[in-house]
Amino acid sequence: MEKRNEQILIVEDDLQIRNFICYSLKQEGFPYMTTGTAQGALSTLVSEQIDLMLLDLGLPDFDGMEVIKKVRDWSEMPIIVVSARDQDKEKAVALDSGADDYLTKPFSATELMARIRVALRHLHKAGGIRQQTSLAVGGLRIDFDKHLVYLDDAELHTTPMEYNLLALFFRNIGKVLTTTYIIREIYGVGYGTDTQALRTLMASLRRKIEKNPAKPRYILTEIGVGYRLSDE
Amino acid sequence: MTTLKSKEHKNVFRYVMITVAMIAAATGVGWIFRMIGFPEANIVIVYLLSILMTARLTRGYIYGIAASVVATCAFNYFFTAPYYTLSVNDPSYLITFAIMTVTAFITSALTSKVKQNALEAQEKEAETSSLFQLTNRLTDAIDISDIASITTETISSIMNCRAACLCFDENGQPEQSFIQQQSAGKQVRRKVDDPSEIRHHIEGLRTAFDVGEEFYDWPIYGRETILGVLRIPRETAVSMSEAQKRLLRSMIESAALAMDRFRSAQEQQKFKEETEQERYRSNLLRAISHDLRTPLSGIMGTAEMLMDMTDRADPRYSLAQGIHKDADWLHSLVENILSLTRLQDGRLTITKQLEAAEEVIGGAVSHIMKRYPEYEIMVSVPEEVLIVPMDAKLIEQVLINLLDNAIKHTPPDREISVSASEDEHSAKFSVADRGCGIAVSDLPNIFQMFYTTRSGEADAQRGVGLGLTICEAIIKAHGGTIEGHNRTDGQGTEFIFTLPMEVSKHGEKK
Repeated sequence: MEKRNEQILIVEDDLQIRNFICYSLKQEGFPYMTTGTAQGALSTLVSEQIDLMLLDLGLPDFDGMEVIKKVRDWSEMPIIVVSARDQDKEKAVALDSGADDYLTKPFSATELMARIRVALRHLHKAGGIRQQTSLAVGGLRIDFDKHLVYLDDAELHTTPMEYNLLALFFRNIGKVLTTTYIIREIYGVGYGTDTQALRTLMASLRRKIEKNPAKPRYILTEIGVGYRLSDE
Repeated sequence: MTTLKSKEHKNVFRYVMITVAMIAAATGVGWIFRMIGFPEANIVIVYLLSILMTARLTRGYIYGIAASVVATCAFNYFFTAPYYTLSVNDPSYLITFAIMTVTAFITSALTSKVKQNALEAQEKEAETSSLFQLTNRLTDAIDISDIASITTETISSIMNCRAACLCFDENGQPEQSFIQQQSAGKQVRRKVDDPSEIRHHIEGLRTAFDVGEEFYDWPIYGRETILGVLRIPRETAVSMSEAQKRLLRSMIESAALAMDRFRSAQEQQKFKEETEQERYRSNLLRAISHDLRTPLSGIMGTAEMLMDMTDRADPRYSLAQGIHKDADWLHSLVENILSLTRLQDGRLTITKQLEAAEEVIGGAVSHIMKRYPEYEIMVSVPEEVLIVPMDAKLIEQVLINLLDNAIKHTPPDREISVSASEDEHSAKFSVADRGCGIAVSDLPNIFQMFYTTRSGEADAQRGVGLGLTICEAIIKAHGGTIEGHNRTDGQGTEFIFTLPMEVSKHGEKK
């Protein structure tokens, strides 16, 4: 069993779910701490060295959303939200408030571990990510200095809009970006929430980078929430 | 009618007698005055008094006027020289006669007018008090037919007839029967021969009332719809005076107000109850979904951990796997029942947004691939991006359900494909497999709730029989169509659903 240094905080009020998350974290060699309340989460975060937080939105004392907002005041640590299925809107709000990723109950341990690994990788790159001149995911590479995109080492012609969109994803590898957030970043604040332009732009970008746009390898759709650039 | 005529005759006779008696009395008094030697002016005054009394005691102008003429003649006959003739010696008397006649005329006319006014005031007061009585009683009414009954009773007693009232229901349709006053304190319900005929008449009405064979029908207009019809028997309606018609209209208006008020109170109550129910239901749904999902997540996760801990050859591995499988099945059952409850309520708000068909297909396919990694799913979408107004989450659910079905009936090495294309006014999605197909006997029932195929191997995964019902409900809510059939180009099944391309108003939230 490999030993990991990153300490993970589990905020979950259901004992069974907590137990199995603890078990799988132990299997992976992660040190962890647990708490069942939002209040407990905040006090642990202040007193302990925590690198990543798994947060259930439905907590007994107050809403998990509040925890995200408070934590984001002082820390950029990855937050993975765990939510019940009905809360699509809350998911988007949680992501817009600063959560990095979300999982829907019931989820498998494999899925959870994959998400944690992605988030941590993201953490190690963070800080340096703005200075990176070039980033790659699989066969897809972006050169920020030259404003160029390469697919399997061949230069790919993209429109400025497509480049901007792709650059936005590369700056947030593995992170779920909500539709609202992307529209704001790409088209500006005053654009509203018209999804059609983004869907069309996404379709044209996918036709350039994906073998089959309906079975994407790079930019995955999270229906009802947004998109994510996968680095698996 | 004959009694009415004889009564009138009697009245005329009485008034004539009064007139004659008054003039005679005045003449008698005049005679005495002349004997005593009073001046003639006094006699004229006495005659005027008699005319005033006549006008006071009789009805109408005619007796007063007649009295004035007769009095002038009598004065001339008895008290001016030459006596006992209608001629006069002194021409100045002619002026006396003229002034006397005119004065008598005016006096009698004024008196009659005062009497007429008093009578009208009395009538008005009766109207007001009966209207007040009606409104007063209407406030105590407990329902629409009670209002109708009170109105009928009041109008019957005032008009002295057997009035009736036919109510219309909430949808503006006449009821099957109407209330009629039989006698004081007794009402009966009579069947309406042809309600739609009445409705037709009333709706096309251009005058204040509809003339019928038995009844004259007055419509009771509410704020938005016709609330009912007030029926006055023909013979009463024909002889109604203007004042009575006015009173009737006021009463109908009062009844309309009361009915309207009752209706809106009723609607408010209903709305309140519905809101209450909806809140209760959504609270329940939320509680169920949360309280069932959380332990199921725990069970599934724990079972997964157990599987992870055990060697595959260990019999405990398959036990843990069994727990996981059953929990998973239970979970999908819970999800299905929850979505179906929401869909069948018709309360599920479909938020249509413009979505790319390929993204929704991609989402569904990747979801299925995670669950069934051993299957290969072919996907084809048009080169030109297909943007369709839809609730992406729900359509993804439809695709997942259809793919899930396809996988259940198809071995892993056979083809399963999903495609999307654009028709004239709709987007067409198809999920096709090369599996065992649908038995002909099952075909008509596939969209029925809890219907599962009987044929199938013993170890086949149990179906819940809700998947396709949910698909149908979702597609219907979108204004699209869905159908399933066996493929003609070989073995297998194909499900096709369409979604309208225009953003329709139906079920859409802006």
